[in-house]
Amino acid sequence: MRHRGKGVGCMWYPIGFTVLANPSAATVKINEDGTATLLTGTVETGQGSLTVLGQIAAEELGISTDDVHVVSADTDTTPMDTGAIASRTTYVTGNAIKLAAENAKQILFEVAAPMLDVRPDQLEAVDRKIQVQYFPQRCLPIADVALQAQFVMGRPPIGSASYNPPTVAMDSETGQGKPFSTYVYATQCAEVEVDDETGQVDVIYMSAAHDCGTAINPMLVEGQIEGGISMGIGFALQEEMLFDDNGQQLNPNLTNYIMPTSLDMPEIDVDIVENFDPTGPFGAKGVGEPTAVPTAAAICNAIHDAVGVRITSLPATAEKVLKAIKARDGGEQKALPAAE
Amino acid sequence: MTDVTLTVNGEERTASVPPETTLLKMLREDLNLTGAKLGCDVGDCGACTVLVDGIAVNACLMLAGQADGKKIETIEGLSTLEEYHPIQKAFEEVAALQCGFCGPGMIMSTKALIDQGEDLSKQEIKDALSGNLCRCTGYTKIIDGVIDAYEDITGKKVPETNPREAQSAA
Ligand code: FES
Ligand code: FES
Repeated sequence: MRHRGKGVGCMWYPIGFTVLANPSAATVKINEDGTATLLTGTVETGQGSLTVLGQIAAEELGISTDDVHVVSADTDTTPMDTGAIASRTTYVTGNAIKLAAENAKQILFEVAAPMLDVRPDQLEAVDRKIQVQYFPQRCLPIADVALQAQFVMGRPPIGSASYNPPTVAMDSETGQGKPFSTYVYATQCAEVEVDDETGQVDVIYMSAAHDCGTAINPMLVEGQIEGGISMGIGFALQEEMLFDDNGQQLNPNLTNYIMPTSLDMPEIDVDIVENFDPTGPFGAKGVGEPTAVPTAAAICNAIHDAVGVRITSLPATAEKVLKAIKARDGGEQKALPAAE
Repeated sequence: MTDVTLTVNGEERTASVPPETTLLKMLREDLNLTGAKLGCDVGDCGACTVLVDGIAVNACLMLAGQADGKKIETIEGLSTLEEYHPIQKAFEEVAALQCGFCGPGMIMSTKALIDQGEDLSKQEIKDALSGNLCRCTGYTKIIDGVIDAYEDITGKKVPETNPREAQSAA
């Protein structure tokens, strides 16, 4: 018989480690046609970080994301970055980019101020224009200001900056400290169906609520969460590296190291719980790794809800679940109803 | 060496290859078409999917010689300089892919499926893509992209289902 069950898994996850130096640096250069070039040492691995970093630069400069040309990860020529690791890119690299863009923008403000008869601190960059705050009709196209800066004032609008979440040493006596700059939180709920004759677990539905600070690109956040859930489902039910006594892997192919396919994926509802973090760029924290953290816990809790057994080692394969169900029933053989 | 002649994306191409050469190897190394990816080389991942006479095959499992004289379609044949293929457009629109390594295979499997001209349900789409592994996306946005492409190309609609009910009926 197939039994339905529901389970919940919660997690918190740290963003921006502070026990060691964790810097990112960036350079933003505003071009005389009003576009900008962003140099960053971080690398795109498909999560969309370069899009998000371009968005951060664009927002700070008051231009469109399409106007930002991102040059990434040739370590010979781009500024240093600790790496696309630890769910730190949006937070740490993003902060560096925001600061670099601010510095470049400051040059535009200083050049535009006499042209608009105001002080630099009365200006803002919006809609590809440098304009006087509260007087948007008093404005100049960014392209014109950049041109003026570059060729008349001799001050090319370039900004470089770095960001390092303040390093805090741990107390060697107590092991206490502040190991991370900020934290994200999430809850995922799983609905599963467990077959008590085979131990087979199917995940029917998952809902995932994630706090990632400000979601700079909600579509990419969703993609990260859905991908994380698929990894979590593999971790919970399928994926296991098997080794023989000599340490040789027994299942080195995808034929026998089983990972989720399109048929293993449940319907997923994603809920992005936005929460402004004052230390992040435009309030953003991060989303990468946390997405795979609560999935297995939610699924194992759902298995318990469905058939009353606790699976305490992963993956919860059909064999393991069936064994637990049999143990629960005191080892008695369950009589199968005669075939009709 | 054997001479193998293929019609690749409408163009006749010939290469002289050792007999054990797979179709994938010939496409990538002799014809310089690196769109089809080498993921596992043993038929598990679908990253190498191309169409042979309209049927999606794992190019790593087919010998080049077996494809001699056949019509091959690869990802390179889909878009022009000016325009994406509707499947590519739909994938881009919903951010279907992340790292993109599975992309050429996913898109070619999708093309084979839509080209069959059958009415499709979401379950049939999932079935058709089950030979294409993706490590990044959880398939959800890829399936959304396939649905959009199918609806755009055929003008038909994929019926709405309540997955939580459908599953228990199955
Ligand atoms: S490379 Fe052909 S299926 Fe993996
Ligand atoms: S997008 Fe990375 S494997 Fe599919």
